[in-house]
Amino acid sequence: MDALDNAIDVQNLTVGYGSNVLLQNLDFSVKNGEIFVILGGSGCGKSSLLKNLFGLYQPIAGDVLIEGQNITTAHGAERQKIMTSFGVMYQQGALFGSMNLLDNVTLFMEEYTQLTRDQMNLLARCKLDLVGLLPYETYMPSEISGGMQKRAAIARAMALDPKILFLDEPSAGLDPITSADLDSTILDLSKNLGFTFVIVSHELASIYSIADKVIMLDKDAKGIIAEGDPKVLRDTSKDPRVHQFFNRIMSKDAA
Amino acid sequence: MSIAVPISSAEPPVAVWTQTDAAHAKISLAGKINVYSLGGVWTQIRDAQDAWLKQGESQSLVLDASQIASLDVAGIAFLIGVEEAQKKSGGQFEIQGLDSKYQPLLQEFDPIGNLFPVPTVKPNRGFVVSTGMATQNLLDDARGLITFAGHLTADLAWSIRNIKQVRWGDFVNAAVEAGIAALPIVALVSFLIGVILSFQAAIGMEQFGAVSFVGPLAALGIVREMGPLITAILLAGRSSAAFAAEIGTMTVNSEVDALVTGGLSPIRFLVVPRVLAGILVAPILTLFADIVSIFSSMLTMQIYGIPFINFYNGMLAAVDVEDILSGLLKATLFGVVVSAMGCLRGMQTGTGAAAVGISATRAVVSSIVMIVLVDGIFAYISYRTGF
Repeated sequence: MDALDNAIDVQNLTVGYGSNVLLQNLDFSVKNGEIFVILGGSGCGKSSLLKNLFGLYQPIAGDVLIEGQNITTAHGAERQKIMTSFGVMYQQGALFGSMNLLDNVTLFMEEYTQLTRDQMNLLARCKLDLVGLLPYETYMPSEISGGMQKRAAIARAMALDPKILFLDEPSAGLDPITSADLDSTILDLSKNLGFTFVIVSHELASIYSIADKVIMLDKDAKGIIAEGDPKVLRDTSKDPRVHQFFNRIMSKDAA
Repeated sequence: MSIAVPISSAEPPVAVWTQTDAAHAKISLAGKINVYSLGGVWTQIRDAQDAWLKQGESQSLVLDASQIASLDVAGIAFLIGVEEAQKKSGGQFEIQGLDSKYQPLLQEFDPIGNLFPVPTVKPNRGFVVSTGMATQNLLDDARGLITFAGHLTADLAWSIRNIKQVRWGDFVNAAVEAGIAALPIVALVSFLIGVILSFQAAIGMEQFGAVSFVGPLAALGIVREMGPLITAILLAGRSSAAFAAEIGTMTVNSEVDALVTGGLSPIRFLVVPRVLAGILVAPILTLFADIVSIFSSMLTMQIYGIPFINFYNGMLAAVDVEDILSGLLKATLFGVVVSAMGCLRGMQTGTGAAAVGISATRAVVSSIVMIVLVDGIFAYISYRTGF
């Protein structure tokens, strides 16, 4: 384990688009090897926060440190080095449509490692096997279902065995069995290999079974309204918004 | 006898191959085993293993994993690669001292045979099959075109009867985009065509002292042929491709399906406004192109000492209103085929990002083919009827 305790440090982060501020003054950190889940209702800025964390968007204010390196100010080679230390799975999969699944996974290996074609293929097959897609390695992204595309995207995000994985709604649209398999893979990678996961998710069942820590965002508060173990929050939180979310209560009943 | 080959890498020594004898060997792994540190090392170890495996039978290989600081999926893939090679030659393989935390992940890949499929070879189609498929595609395309033409005619007729239900907002957007936005490029191209046409004609005619006939000739050519053709080709390049890309993206995003399942005809909703815009815009742009071309031709003939008034009088003698109308009618037909082909190719879009690009390309190519086809038919009709 690295000397640094935190995989990600978020300091005084303000997220938004132009003058439209979605979230302000966020402060939190993700520990190494932790499965960290970001929760919140639709439109509260979960995905935007995620895109700020992995440096796709520039925050309005504040800093994001990935393994101690500030991604918001890094440029050139320094930034590229930070970028290879994590993997990202986008909500829609974002697989390269002109390549089959195996080539999608090996693409980043070709660019960053010295492995031979056969070694990359074997490694890519292992990754596809982890997400249950081994029989589909020669399929094009357009030939498989949406849920399978997401799993392939996770395999691609893991291509370089990054220590941090950002997953944007990985289990949405998956059947319960596949979703449970994916959860067990995530747990395996986290507990045994020390991978850190930052996951945006709505799936309560999945959150209870994998999350070490959650933060809950709120559109009106423009910030974090709850933080901690999801089961503890479900059972003890006094905040009606948190209680409502974890217990799936309809909005008119809560009012 | 013992041969030790230290193998270095970015993070020094990761793997050491030790060969005790023909039947016994050992790989010692140490440090961080990951996708970067394995580059090169993987190949060297596997080469050493393959060379050793050739030396005997029922060999046993031990992998000492007790010095590993960290192991990721790439490291596990490496272990699997070594194990598979060992199994294939009928030898033994044992991993010693591997931290138990890596066991669950290693078991994920059990049995490892699943990871080694025979590479799939794409079926090679013979000449007969290829020809048959090409013919089938051609027939399918023709059928698609005819069906589309039928639907479009029916929906256009419906729109005339239900004029208020036409999507006039979309029509205006398409007309502005295809028409007003196209004015600069149409002006530029028709100006240059006017210049080129007159110069080319003048060079030839000068030898016969017939430079004064260049004006009427150029004007007639522009009004009947060049004006409509230039406009149609520019429309094909700009608007047909744009329609195909726009509707193609909607097809990829299932927006067209959403119209169908909502009980709305995508042709009436998406195609009719665009085709109507094509019908409106093509003749207007053609008229504009005619004027600019004739003006540039007039300017060019100044160089040959033909005054404006002579050019004008010559033009009036040669060009009838009928000629202009014939050109505009042709332009209208071009407008229909160009916008319709763009929409058709858009609706035929497959899946994925590349499909939209293919549709846009097909839209331009088929538009130009259709323009030439319509022009040919029109020329024949003009010849027979004198219109």
